[in-house]
Amino acid sequence: MNSKTLVELIKRIIPYIVAIAFVLWLYVSYGAWAYTLKNMSEFFRLIGEHMVLVFISMAAAISVGVTLGTVMTRKGFEKSASVIMAVVNVWQSVPSLGVIALAYGILPMIGISGIGMVPALFALFFHAVAPIVRNTYAGIDSVSRDVIEAATGMGMTRKQIMFQIELPNAMPVIMGGIRTSSAIIVGTAPLAFLIGGGGLGFWIFTGIALVDMGIMTAGAVPVALLAMLIDFLLAKLETLIVSRGILSDGAQTAM
Amino acid sequence: MGIMLSLQKVTKIYPGADSIKAVNKLTFDLEEGEICTLVGPSGCGKTTAMKMINRLISVTSGKILINGQNVANTNTIELRRKIGYVIQNIGLFPNMTIGENIAIIPKLLKWDKGRIQEKVQSLLEIVSLPPEEYRDRYPRELSGGQQQRIGVARGMAGDPPIMLMDEPFGAIDPINREHLQNEFLRIQEKVKKTIVFVTHDIDEAIKMGDKICLLKDGHLVQFASPEEMLINPKNDFVSDFVGGDRTLKRLNLFTIRKSMQTNPPVVNVTETIETARNLFVKLNVDYLIAVDSDGFLKGMIKRDAIPAGVDTVMDATEKTNAWLPGTASLKDGLSEIFTHDYGFLIVVDEDRKVLGWLRTEDIKKTLKG
Repeated sequence: MNSKTLVELIKRIIPYIVAIAFVLWLYVSYGAWAYTLKNMSEFFRLIGEHMVLVFISMAAAISVGVTLGTVMTRKGFEKSASVIMAVVNVWQSVPSLGVIALAYGILPMIGISGIGMVPALFALFFHAVAPIVRNTYAGIDSVSRDVIEAATGMGMTRKQIMFQIELPNAMPVIMGGIRTSSAIIVGTAPLAFLIGGGGLGFWIFTGIALVDMGIMTAGAVPVALLAMLIDFLLAKLETLIVSRGILSDGAQTAM
Repeated sequence: MGIMLSLQKVTKIYPGADSIKAVNKLTFDLEEGEICTLVGPSGCGKTTAMKMINRLISVTSGKILINGQNVANTNTIELRRKIGYVIQNIGLFPNMTIGENIAIIPKLLKWDKGRIQEKVQSLLEIVSLPPEEYRDRYPRELSGGQQQRIGVARGMAGDPPIMLMDEPFGAIDPINREHLQNEFLRIQEKVKKTIVFVTHDIDEAIKMGDKICLLKDGHLVQFASPEEMLINPKNDFVSDFVGGDRTLKRLNLFTIRKSMQTNPPVVNVTETIETARNLFVKLNVDYLIAVDSDGFLKGMIKRDAIPAGVDTVMDATEKTNAWLPGTASLKDGLSEIFTHDYGFLIVVDEDRKVLGWLRTEDIKKTLKG
């Protein structure tokens, strides 16, 4: 490794180190560390609930979003695609708190309790699925017509074109949607507490209510670290599953 | 050589345009190993005609036979895998390496790995891109010309007997285009595929085609060899389309070697200057071609420019670049004759051994047939 790449590496790492150091300093100085040590079992229960909220809604949003976005690009779905895209675009502008409130209000109408983890999962899923649908659709739609024509003319089946050509070439855009969704989910998950969904939001809102910075930071800091960890993992994943032939130059140097 | 591809009254009417026949009763036969260029003004139906062969576009009426088999009765996917397909915008798969791009059809045909590797290797060599250097690179790392070579290699990878090429060199700059055309003709000498080649450029059609199929408004106007079309254009449309310089265009169809005379005025450089002087008189020429004892080109001597006091031909010989290899076209030959003052051109082989000479009257004789 020459000195230039070393400097580049340090430049990239410094913001992370500064952010983490600052957060940890807050964490200790507000007494959050002490509070967490004292309530260790509750901490593990809350972070467990939080992880369930984030990862289950994420997994559901990815599987439904990518599938729906792909189906929308198939022949015969052109009309429904434009309708779905319009809905998705409007839906994305609804704020997180609104989505949580909607889950609380609407789910009882279809016989599901508006209180607890289930409505929270619904809310997170619905909020996060939109960017994935949109990016999957846009990503596949943007694959060059020439590439598809060449593949068709050479005798590839529709299925082969979808899995070997369209999805791999749309992958950077799809991954962009997934990263946006993960940011939305991680940011919205603490609000699940408001409708009894559990998670680290419990400590955050309790701390705010009691004007106790220690309790609040004890909830907020793990949430922030989780967000950074997930983003880091997704970026790693991107370099693994996106072909080197289509990675943008920025993404190539990102990790 | 049997008939490989046969179009019989092939007609295409696009839905919603009832009265307009994009292709109208197109009929022609193509023998194995021939290149047929489909040419015509835009909207003449040439691309539609080509795409009906691999069923990217359906036939409204008529029949297309490959090796006597009606393509309408074959499985579309299997049919396409047996027909190489190369398009103007190349359409390499950006997510795959060059090697993977070329290997795609062999893989679909379930060849074993070793055979695929060998094929990729040999195709990259054929299109003059060293395999070690290019196999693992990605399409975006290549220039347009290199990409199109890969496009051609990919089209040939499944050993298809037939290839369809839709303006393959259309998006490439003129210098590279000519280079690729020559290279492709060189490859075709070896592989002898049956090729349908769409182009809007009549010069390319003449250069690449064994047969030219000239279309207008979906009709076949003339189906002939380039030579035939240039000598006997069927009507005014054809003669307009091939251009007023059609006689000059015919120059491209011949090599210098075919037209040259094999009795050039040569003199050995070891001879005395007296011998040269006598030769000038005897042959009644102003220039003599100086060669060494093995017949290799050394230069030229001018009759009234022999320096005083020289003894041998060698001393009076001046360097010259008025020569071309026998494989060059007559067009290049004619141009070279006019570039120099000698009034003729020296024809040599790859090692610059003198084969003959070419004068304008030789060219005239060739064009007259």
